Amino acid sequence: MIRLEKVSKSFDGGQSYVVKNISLEVAEGETLVLLGSSGCGKTTTLKMINRLIEPTGGRIEVGGRDVASLAPALLRRRIGYVFQEIGLFPHMTIGENIAIVPRLLGWDKTRRQDRARELLTFMGLDPRDFADRYPDELSGGQQQRIGVARALAADPDYLLMDEPFGALDALTRDVLQQEILSLKQRLKKTIIFVTHDIFEAMILGDRIAVLHDGNLEQVGTREEVYQHPASRFVADLFSKSAKQLAVFKELE
Amino acid sequence: MVAESFIHFALQRLPELGLRTGEHLMLTGISTAAAVMLGVPVGILASRISQLRSPLLGTAGILQTVPSLAMLAILLALTGKIGAVPAIIALILYALLPIVRNTVAGIEGVSPATLEAARGIGMTGHQQLSMVKIPLALPVIVAGIRTAAVTGVGIATLSAFIGAGGLGQFINRGLALSSNHLVLLGAIPAAILALIVDFSIGAMVWGLQARRQRHFRPKARLALKTLSFSLPLLVGLGGVAAYMWGGTWGRAPVRASEATNQVPQITVVIGSKNFTEQLILGELMARLIEARTDLSVARRFNLGGTMICHGALVSGEIDLYAEYTGTGLTAVLHMGALSDPEEVFLRVKEAYRKRFSVTWLPPFGFNNTYAITVRDGEARKRGWERISDLIEPASGLRAGFTAEFAERPDGYPGLQRVYGLSFGEVRDFDPTLMYEALVRDEVDVICAFATDGRLSAYHLRALEDDRAFFPPYHAAPVVRNEVLDAHPEIQQALAPLSGLLSNVRMQRLNYQVDGKKRSPREVALEFLKSHKLLNGR
Repeated sequence: MIRLEKVSKSFDGGQSYVVKNISLEVAEGETLVLLGSSGCGKTTTLKMINRLIEPTGGRIEVGGRDVASLAPALLRRRIGYVFQEIGLFPHMTIGENIAIVPRLLGWDKTRRQDRARELLTFMGLDPRDFADRYPDELSGGQQQRIGVARALAADPDYLLMDEPFGALDALTRDVLQQEILSLKQRLKKTIIFVTHDIFEAMILGDRIAVLHDGNLEQVGTREEVYQHPASRFVADLFSKSAKQLAVFKELE
Repeated sequence: MVAESFIHFALQRLPELGLRTGEHLMLTGISTAAAVMLGVPVGILASRISQLRSPLLGTAGILQTVPSLAMLAILLALTGKIGAVPAIIALILYALLPIVRNTVAGIEGVSPATLEAARGIGMTGHQQLSMVKIPLALPVIVAGIRTAAVTGVGIATLSAFIGAGGLGQFINRGLALSSNHLVLLGAIPAAILALIVDFSIGAMVWGLQARRQRHFRPKARLALKTLSFSLPLLVGLGGVAAYMWGGTWGRAPVRASEATNQVPQITVVIGSKNFTEQLILGELMARLIEARTDLSVARRFNLGGTMICHGALVSGEIDLYAEYTGTGLTAVLHMGALSDPEEVFLRVKEAYRKRFSVTWLPPFGFNNTYAITVRDGEARKRGWERISDLIEPASGLRAGFTAEFAERPDGYPGLQRVYGLSFGEVRDFDPTLMYEALVRDEVDVICAFATDGRLSAYHLRALEDDRAFFPPYHAAPVVRNEVLDAHPEIQQALAPLSGLLSNVRMQRLNYQVDGKKRSPREVALEFLKSHKLLNGR
């Protein structure tokens, strides 16, 4: 379980807050989507969970332990992280990239190679073809599959995903969303997924947390947020998207 | 034909070429290796602590702008040594900038996305450095090392000025003796060496980039990789081998001042400045000591100028060399110029004894003072006989002086004061090139030396110093007291030279080398033989 308790963040010594007093709970095996437009504080919130950013106030627990009491590097190795800019290591092969966290954890070489092959297969990529290639020889979609595989390599209980498909084209994005959906059903990880895309949030989220201007506007299942918006902002957000869909409906 | 005679010339000197090439590679290799060990950590530090970045890069930048000779002179003063130590320190300082700068640039060139990923997956600071930043920066860092090593091969030629050996020694000697063959014997191997170093480090860069070798089979890949990494090593080993083959490996001479009562090989170290007369005098003294005492002699000739020789003498790096009274008085002791030769000699003798514990032995006889010199033909045409005759036309004349003369109080500044002379244009020259420039009509007036063989050989005329401005420059051996006390036989061995060398004789000896292109060694030997001075005790 991941718990945020009155968490806030200011980058300018308290003059303004990017994250304002947010409290949240993510249950074991649940996928929570942090939804909001850019600058709403969703990525900052995510990065505070594995201490890439230190909170100004409040308390964060992962698996019942206060993250502030854990060494950041050790904490991060227990939490898979998928980056918006993918961030594969260009000087390492795909196999080495996937097995990097196991390497940090001191697994031996054979076990790491087995794990990398296993995950490549799991992500639908042939290990014989991909394990020895370098990141820049892969397409964007393939690279982010490796990014996900890297996050899963040490079999962490928690997965943080920061707009992982933000840089991909619409088609690739669709395919990967479906893959994440099936992955999440197969793996039963606790996932926090950041996106600004409402449809992505509706597809992937067991629950959706809507952020606006550093405030948590509403948390709930997609039915709850869509049918019973807690604020004007949430209502507008969903009605706009519904109107967009209506345009397509008319064409049919 | 030219190439043929050069090849013949080079073949004759093959063992020494090996020795100098080896020395050169060792100077470059040791200094580059040390600069890497110092520069890479400094670069890493600068990239981690942003406040340190500018000061560190700035310091490295300033070090690199110090002219090479000035750097060597400064280090000589600081370390009190001549030879490899100050040379290597200078080379390290020059190598630092490219290495530090490229290390910083390489690390800062790693993309933020990659760095965030390294942090985000749980690498510690040290792991981020060793697993991500350094491997990604490595090609850039090695490019910096490559620049440093190749420039180092070039700068190392200057180390010969302070007696550190290397290929520069041929170049120096060649300049001193105006022998193109000798200059080329240093310059060509130095250029080839630079290319080899560049190529072998280039191969290492290739070896570092694992992905480039993926087109090869695993076995071929391993072989290529091994080869690419062992190339720089092979070059280094080749240098050591050449050094051992060409030189006297491991036979460090026992210094005369350190081991007075031991039977084996006590060595007197004789120095010289870097021009013909000094080489001949050095050789004359060396031969006499070898022939007339049990001491052996190490020759540290061609040191780059008065301050380097004097510094080496005072610090005990050399035991004796030939100095000029006027130079000792003004350039070393900073006393005002005097015109009475006797008085000058007594003053420097007294001051050297008190301040440096150095003895002036009796002078050789000639007075190698500066001589304001013009082309004989022009002098005849324009009726120039005395320096005063130049006062009127001075503003239309071009002067070529050695850098030393242009600055010394008993040089051009004093000349201007005493004669009211001011030449239209003044250019600095290497002593050898200065004469060439006068002959080729590139300048009209030079500061020649009164004993220079080229005066008559090139049809030049030394003008009379009608206001007795130039102080006397009588040459004499200067010896460290410590050595002289332990081995008074040195004084006896050198005694026959006292008063033997008149201006005309010295001019002739100099001309044998400068004009007839004979070696100082040969000329000195012939002179001593003809005076029957080598017949032992």
